[in-house]
Amino acid sequence: MRVVIADDEDLARSVLREYLERAHGMEIVAECANGFEAVKAVAEHQPDVIFLDVQMPKLDGFEVLELIDRKVAVVFVTAFDQYAMRAFDAAAVDYLLKPFGEDRFRGALEKIARRTGEMRPASLSSELKNAVRPAGEYLERIVVKHTVKDGASVHVIPVGKLDYAEAQDDYVALRSEGRTWIKQQTIASLETALHPKRFVRVHRGYLVNIERITRIEPNTKDTWIAVLTDGTRIPVSRGGYARFHALIGG
Amino acid sequence: MHPLLHSWKASLLYFAAWVPLGAILGLLISAAGSLTAFETAVIIVPVTVILAFVCLSPWYACRALPLKSTSAGRLIGQHVLAAVVVSGAMLFVARIAAGRTAGPVLGPMVAMIYLLSIAMHYVVIEAQTSRRSELLAREAQLRALKAQVNPHFLFNSLNSISALTAGDPMRAREMCIQLADFLRTSLRLGERAAIPFREEMELTRMYLNVEQVRFGRRLQLSLDVEPACGDCEVPALVIQPLVENAVKHGIALLNEGGEILMLGRIVREGLRFTIENPYDPLAPASRSGIGLANVRQRLEARYGNAARLEVEASADVYRVTVVIPVKI
Repeated sequence: MRVVIADDEDLARSVLREYLERAHGMEIVAECANGFEAVKAVAEHQPDVIFLDVQMPKLDGFEVLELIDRKVAVVFVTAFDQYAMRAFDAAAVDYLLKPFGEDRFRGALEKIARRTGEMRPASLSSELKNAVRPAGEYLERIVVKHTVKDGASVHVIPVGKLDYAEAQDDYVALRSEGRTWIKQQTIASLETALHPKRFVRVHRGYLVNIERITRIEPNTKDTWIAVLTDGTRIPVSRGGYARFHALIGG
Repeated sequence: MHPLLHSWKASLLYFAAWVPLGAILGLLISAAGSLTAFETAVIIVPVTVILAFVCLSPWYACRALPLKSTSAGRLIGQHVLAAVVVSGAMLFVARIAAGRTAGPVLGPMVAMIYLLSIAMHYVVIEAQTSRRSELLAREAQLRALKAQVNPHFLFNSLNSISALTAGDPMRAREMCIQLADFLRTSLRLGERAAIPFREEMELTRMYLNVEQVRFGRRLQLSLDVEPACGDCEVPALVIQPLVENAVKHGIALLNEGGEILMLGRIVREGLRFTIENPYDPLAPASRSGIGLANVRQRLEARYGNAARLEVEASADVYRVTVVIPVKI
């Protein structure tokens, strides 16, 4: 099996390396010290499994999970307490709590072997991120992956720079600083992750940064048009119009 | 002993207050009983002096009959009885001193003054208990706030030790000892209210020793502390949590790590300590405030406005400055 290790601490990687060398048929194809590298390495090497630390520079483990191929088996390796890790059960094949012994590690390998070829449901990673977020805290940035000529690259959008999001089936198109980014996530799960006073769902298919709205024009009898600072015109439904007015207190 | 008598100043003030009170009492009885100035003085001086002492006695009576747990009947009965006895005694004193009765006013006036002093004692006792329970609650809160060794740090350190055992057992042992040193010192200092700044810096050093094994070259340090800082008394576990923040939210989230700069100076307001670290401005800032809020609360509880904790974040440098008042 082909393996990627992602942990920012040398010593933490060396434990995994040591255990993997003693296990049979495991090949380490890449070792990464941050989240960007992990996303790139998975795109480049198409491994079977990634051992993923949660707290890393650039992107944390949850963000990496959102951006990598759903066929790759994920094993979280973390010092987080057990309680917080319960949320991971559904999304990851297994999780290892630091420090862990070789027996426990072999248990994880057996779980991986049983579940090869299984795919994570599409919505799971972003829902996991919502589940581990403390109540009252909202997303501060959105990470997206895009293809460049020598592989994959990661772009970080601070939520203040997001103009609006448009639903496209299982994807959302994110508009920020004149560019459009595509991400595999439902608009509903993005809406729950963003601050409800900063983003308003003006339409089933549109989530808009409230600071970008300059005015709302009537369109047909029951619909309106929101005009954004850059001139973009976004359809507004009756429910969306009510939500917008509830938010600005008008 | 009565709390008023603990200090010279308070006692003096208390007895001084009886001078105008005695004067007013004298005016009243001389008018009502048509006494001469001499007779009034002969009565009022001993009565006022004795009354000044007698009016301290409710301190014991009020504590023996607490407002909350005494029935209203018993409360009123006991205190009124005492007031009647006191006023009778004062009339007797007046009789002896002046050789005649003091007129109709003295008895009721003495009883009223005595009852007023009872009421005032209840107010003072109530204020004292509420202040004491507030202090106790605050102390308990401070103890709880201090006793926080970050489990995330502990488990990551144990994981580093586990990694070292395979390739470098000697370093693994060394790190075990460093971790134990830190934990032991942290528990010991946590029990004390104030420690010399030198000991806080030793604890911080022990913490950083452990983290340097974890992060290797990613964690660089620069320390510049004026020697005079060492003897200053500071609350325990104020600097170490701030340095831990700099590692956790700064260095640990940077690819290449960076340098933590620590600067300690004696300034006019006290001891000023600055911690500066590079950070990733794009990293989510969530939860970073807990350690900071904890230190801020403890400083506030202890020093009020005299201590300061300031945070400045520039494009990629995070700076925390703490100023603690010290006796020099």
